[in-house]
Parts: sequence; C-alpha cells; structure tokens
Amino acid sequence: MRYAIYLITLLLAGSPFAQQTISGRVTEKSGEPLLGVNVYVKGTYDGATTDINGSFSFTTYEEDSLILVASFIGFHEVNLPLSKDSEPLLIRMREKVSELNAVVITAGAFHASEEGKREVLKPLDIVTTAGATADVPGALNTLPGTQTVGETGRLFVRGGDGRETKTFIDGMLVHNEYSPSAPNTPGRSRFSPFMFKGMSFSTGGYSAEYGQALSSALILQSKDLPDNNRTDISLMSVGADISTTRTFEKSSFAGKVQYTNLTPYFELVDQNLRWDKAPEEYNANLAYRVKTSKTGMLKFYTNASRSDMELYEADIANPETVLPVKVQNDYAHFNASYKELMGDKWGIRAGASFTKSDDLASLSNDSRDQELTGFHTKIVTDYQHSDRIAFLAGAEVIQREVDQVLEDETGSFAQGFKERVSASFFESEWFASSSLGFKAGVRAEHNNLTSGETVAPRISAAYKTGAKSQVSIAFGQFYQTPQTQIILSQPSTQAEKASHYIANYQWLGEGQSFRIEAYEKRYDQLVKYDQLFDPSTYSSIGNGYARGVDLFWRDNKTFDNTDYWVSYSYLDTEREFRDFPGAFTPTFASSHNFSFVVKKFIDEIKSQFGLTYSFASGRTYNDLNAEGFLTGRTPAYHDLSFNISYLYNNQVIVHAMVNNVLGINNIYGYQFADTPNENGMYASRAITSPARRFIFLGVFITLSKNKGINQLPNL
Amino acid sequence: MRKNLLIIIGVLCASAVFANGPFEKAMGKNIPAMFTAETSEALQNVINQLNRIGEAEGDRWEPYYYAAFGYIRLSDMHEGGEDKDKYMDLALETIAKADLIKPEDSELEALRGYVHMMRIVVDPATRGMKYSGMAFASFQKAVALDPENPRAHYLLGRMQFGTAQFMGNGDGGACETLARAKELFASEKPESPIAPSWGNKTNEEAIAYICKKEESE
Repeated sequence: MRYAIYLITLLLAGSPFAQQTISGRVTEKSGEPLLGVNVYVKGTYDGATTDINGSFSFTTYEEDSLILVASFIGFHEVNLPLSKDSEPLLIRMREKVSELNAVVITAGAFHASEEGKREVLKPLDIVTTAGATADVPGALNTLPGTQTVGETGRLFVRGGDGRETKTFIDGMLVHNEYSPSAPNTPGRSRFSPFMFKGMSFSTGGYSAEYGQALSSALILQSKDLPDNNRTDISLMSVGADISTTRTFEKSSFAGKVQYTNLTPYFELVDQNLRWDKAPEEYNANLAYRVKTSKTGMLKFYTNASRSDMELYEADIANPETVLPVKVQNDYAHFNASYKELMGDKWGIRAGASFTKSDDLASLSNDSRDQELTGFHTKIVTDYQHSDRIAFLAGAEVIQREVDQVLEDETGSFAQGFKERVSASFFESEWFASSSLGFKAGVRAEHNNLTSGETVAPRISAAYKTGAKSQVSIAFGQFYQTPQTQIILSQPSTQAEKASHYIANYQWLGEGQSFRIEAYEKRYDQLVKYDQLFDPSTYSSIGNGYARGVDLFWRDNKTFDNTDYWVSYSYLDTEREFRDFPGAFTPTFASSHNFSFVVKKFIDEIKSQFGLTYSFASGRTYNDLNAEGFLTGRTPAYHDLSFNISYLYNNQVIVHAMVNNVLGINNIYGYQFADTPNENGMYASRAITSPARRFIFLGVFITLSKNKGINQLPNL
Repeated sequence: MRKNLLIIIGVLCASAVFANGPFEKAMGKNIPAMFTAETSEALQNVINQLNRIGEAEGDRWEPYYYAAFGYIRLSDMHEGGEDKDKYMDLALETIAKADLIKPEDSELEALRGYVHMMRIVVDPATRGMKYSGMAFASFQKAVALDPENPRAHYLLGRMQFGTAQFMGNGDGGACETLARAKELFASEKPESPIAPSWGNKTNEEAIAYICKKEESE
C-alpha cells in the first residue's frame, strides 16, 4: 500500500523530489520592469516568462545546486546560483549596447546601406535620383553640405574645393576617381553605383582611419557574394554594355565591358561645343570575391579604361580662330581587400590598391602629359573589449608618383615627384549607455617630401534625446598635401590644414527623417603665391573659414508610393590663398544651395517617375574689366531634371531621362582673354554647359534563371 | 506584393501528438500553442518555453525550429521596421542553432528562406533585389535537399507569385509549384509527430486565391 501511494505521488508529480516555487521580479538597472524575460532553471524545462510587472513564478522539482538563468533580447544574460527556499528574487538586467539600440554618431555623416536601419539614404537612391545620371557624386550633390559646381560634376563640400573630397573603396584610397572630360564640362565618377552595398558620405569630422582630405570622405563598401548567376545587357543612346555574374559555392566572379561613344548623340542634338571627335570610352571591370571562412572575405576588383575626345575651342579674343583641344586618358585601378574575425573580439582588415593613370591634354601646340602611379597599403585591427568599449588601430602607406611633361614650340619641360605618406591611427569608442556614446581618435602622418609630421585629433559624441531623436557633436583636424601643380613646382610645400566643429540634431521616424547641422571650419597653412609657376613666391600662410547650416527632410510615408527629400545649405566662406590679394569668397562657393528630389511609382503603368530641382545662388568670378578682385557674380543656377523607368516585363526595362528640362542657360563663370583689346578691355566668354539639355534613352535586359531578377534596382 | 507577402500564416493546428515522454509531451503542448498564440506576450511565452526545451535537450533541432517560426510570427505582429528586423534576426539566430544539430536540412533551409521573404515586406523597393535573391536561393536549396518537402514548394510558390505580382505579369509559375506542393502534402508522412507538418491549409488558400484568380482573368 505504501508502495502504491509512493507510485501515485511519483506519477502525479513526475519526480520523486520536493517541489520548489521560484518567484521574483526582473527589472532594468533603472528599476523599470521587463516584460517577456525567459527565467528558467539551467538545463531544465522549468521556467517562466515575466509579465507586464516583470514578475515571474514557477515550480521546479530540481534540488541540487540550481542555477537560475534570466535571458532577454538586448540584455546581458544573468546566471544566479539558487539556494533552497529562496526568497522572492529581484533580478536586475543590464542593457547590451548593440547596433540596434546604440546611439549613432551622425555629426557630419550620411550613411547609406541596403539594410537601412537608421540610414537616411539607400544605395538605390543614387540610381533613381533624376538628374544624377546614375552617378554617385551626382546623387550626393542633392544632399545638404554640397555646393553645385555644374561645370565639374564633382563634390564640393562646405566651402571646400573639389580636390578636398577623397573617395575610398573598401578602405582604399582611389586616385583620379573621375573620368576625364572636356574643359569646363562635368566629369563622372569612374565607379558604378551598382558595385556598392553601402556608403558613407562625410561632410566633415570623419574617422581617424581616413586622411588626406580637408573637407570630406566618401567611403564606399563593395558588395559581398551575389546569390544568382545573371547576365545583363544594356543598350543606350550613348553606348552599350554587357555584364555577367557567376556564382560558385564560396566565390563569385563578375565582369563587365562597356563601350561609350557620343558621336550619334551629338549628330542628333545640337551642342555648344564644336566636336571633332566625340568622347569615346572603352571600359572593363572585373571582380572576384571569395569567402575564405565563415567570417572571412577576400575581394579583388579591377577597372581599366581608355577614353579620348577632340574638340575645337574658340579663342576668346577672336572667336573666329579655333584651337584644337585633345583629351586622352588611360586608367587602371586594382584593389584587393581582406577581412576576417579572429575569435569573438578581434577583427582584422588588410588591403592594397594600385592606380595608374595617364592623362594627355593638349591645346593647339601646347601639351601636358601627366602620369600618376599610386600605391596604397593598409592594415587595421579592431578589438571589441565589450559591448560598450571598442578600439581600432591601423597603419597605412599612401604612395604617389607623378611625372609631368609640358611641351610647346620652344621644347619640353619635365617635372615629377614621389610622395610617400606614412600614417598610423588609433580610435576608441565608448558607450556610457545605449544613449550616450563617445569616439576619440588620433591620426599621425609623416610625409617624405616635407619630412614633416602632422598629428590630427578627432573627437565626437552622440546623445539620444528620445526614441527617435538624437544630438551629436564632432571636432577634428585634417591635413592634405597641396594641389599637384604646387608639389610639382615645390615638392617640400607643407600640408594644408582644416579644423571642423560640427553640431547635429537628427530625428528619424518611420518613413520620415529630419536633420539639421551647423558647422564651422577653419583653414590654415593654405598655400599662397604671387605666381603659380614661381615656387620662390610660395608660402603656407594662407587661411580661411567656412561656416553654415545644412537642413534635410525626407518623407516616404505621407504620399502613397511617393518618396521625396528636400535639402538646403547655407554657406558663408572666405579664404586668403593662392594669388588672392586678401580674404575673398572663392569661385567654387555659393551661399545658398537647394534641392528637391521626388520619386513616385505608379503601379497601373508599371513605371517609376523621378524629378529633381536644384538651385544654387550665384558664384564669384574675377571680372578683369571691373575694379577689384572677384567682384563679378554669376546669375543663380537652376536645373529641373526628369526620369522615367518603365518595366516592360520581368527582364526588360526601358529608361529615359532629360536633364535641364527647361533648357536654362546656366552660367558657371567667365573666362577672359589674356590680353586687353585696343579699347583696354578684356574679351570674355561665359562658361556654360556643353548643351542645354542632356537626353538619355536606354533598354536594360537581364537574363537569369531566376525570373524575379531584373535591372530595376540598377536604374 | 506587400499585400501578398502579408498573407499571414493562418491558424495551423498541428495534429494531435501522443505524449510518450517529457520531450514529446512538452513539444505536443507548445507546437500548437506557438501556431495559435494571438498576442505577442503569449507568443513570447511559448518561444521562451521552446528555447528552454532546446537548451535542456541539446541534441534536438525541433524546439529551435518552432521557436524560430515563433519569432517570424512575432515579427509579423509588430509594425515598425526596426522591431520586425529584430525578431527576424532572432529567427535566423535560432535557425542557426538548429543547423548545428541538423546540418543541411530542407525544413530549416525553407524556414530561413521564409525569413528572407518576410524581410522584403519591411521595404520592398530597397530590399526586393537582395532578399528576393536570397529567398529564392534558400527555397531552391530546400527543394534540392528534399524534393518531397511540401513546405519548400509552397513557400517557393508564394515567392514566385509575389515577384510576378510586383512585376505585374502572370503568376510566375506559382500555380504549378503550389499544385506540386498540394500533391506532396497529400502524400506526406511526417517522420515523427513533432516533425514539421504545417502548410497544407495555407497552401490550399494560396491556390484558391492565386490560381482561381488567374483563371477568371
């Protein structure tokens, strides 16, 4: 009988041991109760989930040396040894600082990635923005902090010259990132936006890992392994290309060849320039990526191109006299990068890049042949001490050899230099909590030409003011070797310097975002001279400032299938540099820049429409017929561009776009004759676009086993 | 496409499970509870239980399979993109735990594809390209690993239809795939009472919705 009772007890209880009730509450450090925490006895099914008050209660039959576990997403797991007959427990959990909840330092930076958790931009935006012609700098020029300088197509950031923005691919510096163009006509980036999965466009205060850019760093991350084999064919009004992607188990290969020739287009559409040979370009890209382990990735990328064009430029003083202009460029860039994690805490990145660019430009009998050989190696390690503390340290060598040969009737003149910038950098990141983060870094550089050393600190902080809003501030110093022409004449000219002070407020809602940023930038050690070609007049005593406010609003929620953004930048800048007789606003700066970009998808006709309006207030120019220096002011710049993509079917897309729909004759500045005419006046000519409008038509065809893929995201 | 991808898994009642041990008993209770939980609190509670079972057992992949499924449902119950992503990240982490126990499994691969498919909903315009590629790759791999897995066919059919709808033409071969899934559901004999067996009802619904509509057009 007693045996039977024992058996019944056993069956009822499922265990011969005494039952124990475990109960308590789980809260955050602050005392806020946590809902949904998994509280259980390690190694058993016994446990419970906390309720709205953070309370839990369950029974267990286990007895000996119990370990109680509290586990919850976003918090550090708690393990507690339990004694028998524990009193109600109070468990406090500490929040994990993770990518998902941590405050992000946004001062000075626009981030874009496909994941797009906190980003205000997506890589796709680059290619769907009207007027950008699928050009990375073209699309970034619709963001605040940039100044439209229509005749170059480059990124001019916060009162900085175009050369003060540098491009990095997978951490490696890219030399000569723009395709060559005729004088005063916009060039395009050599790199297709389809290559990148993410980008960070810094308008100031960027990380100590990057250097040699006074104003801005454009940091691009190439894509990882693709998922599908595919072949794409593009037929365009300006040329054609074919590309293919092959995937293997742990690697992939992608290749693309492109041929561009503007001759047929120029036959049809009137040009302001007289072309002898319209721009023609051969371009080839190869990419090979290997997954070396679960966490390791090795990438090779190479780009080679040849382009040339010939045109006639009228003499300013005697427009009937035309002078032949030739522009030719051979370019090769090779980039290898490796990334791997070593254990939980250590990571390593290494890379090497090689660039060779040969530029030949001639006007009449004067020619300039400039050959650049660039070599960049870099190694970076990072250490994640905990979820709150991380370090990064690295070293790099940036080498550049430039040889230039100038030729005219009188003979030839050769100049050259070999520059080697050796740099090391260190950066630490500390989160006091998920809402307060700091970053401090320093970058030291040594330049072989000047034998000079620079030490540049970079500091930033961010604080979450609410679930959707945050403020951040940044300070940094930046050094850059002066422009190539100066180093060719005087290689030991010391680096120019900029200091940035930035304050930023950002609000990110679901489908809407707002940013406002104020900055102050100081320029020092700028090169001043009386004559560019007389190095004895060089001195590094130039200086200047740029200050302003940038505003950005984006909304893809209010209107159905419609996405739009508005950017406004105010800039106040003056410099005393080059041959300026005092402090003046340089010709590349405009006080007010405004962009409005809208995109709308209309389901019924399977088409996406895009419209971009850009405005820039007038820029200064040196009017040789007026008193004073840089007293001229160009009219304001306006541009309205339009594009449409029509999905014919799964595999065929038709794309059309028109830049400057209204055909406004924008004037970017004036060029003057070298000598005055008989009346003592200098003849002048306005610098304008090569054509009023640019029209583009293309058909994009995708061949893939996977019928769901097309080039839509590429447009 | 949003609408189609938002077709939520209906209530799926797992067949009655015989309790022939504490593991089977616990799973028999939690599997239907996972499919039927209607609030995120109730669902989180079931997921927590499944995770406890998985951790205590150590060599069973099923608790993690259903916990991951629970996270997909939890993701679906939330509105904001960040929350949705958080739970989908958890679903993938949980599938990865099951992978260690049962590598190269068709059911786990199909579930992973399901997560990729649901990711697209957060932002179809931006994510469509990347995640539709990943989802197709997973479903095709799941079919290759087990050509008889009806769920792999069913999910592949859903993906084909969603993509074709986005492009505005036809069914993308979805009806053919869903019909194949239907055959496989009819002849399916689950390995064990706790092996995945869901999907027949939603497959029927998908056929009724997609393929009837196709004919009437």
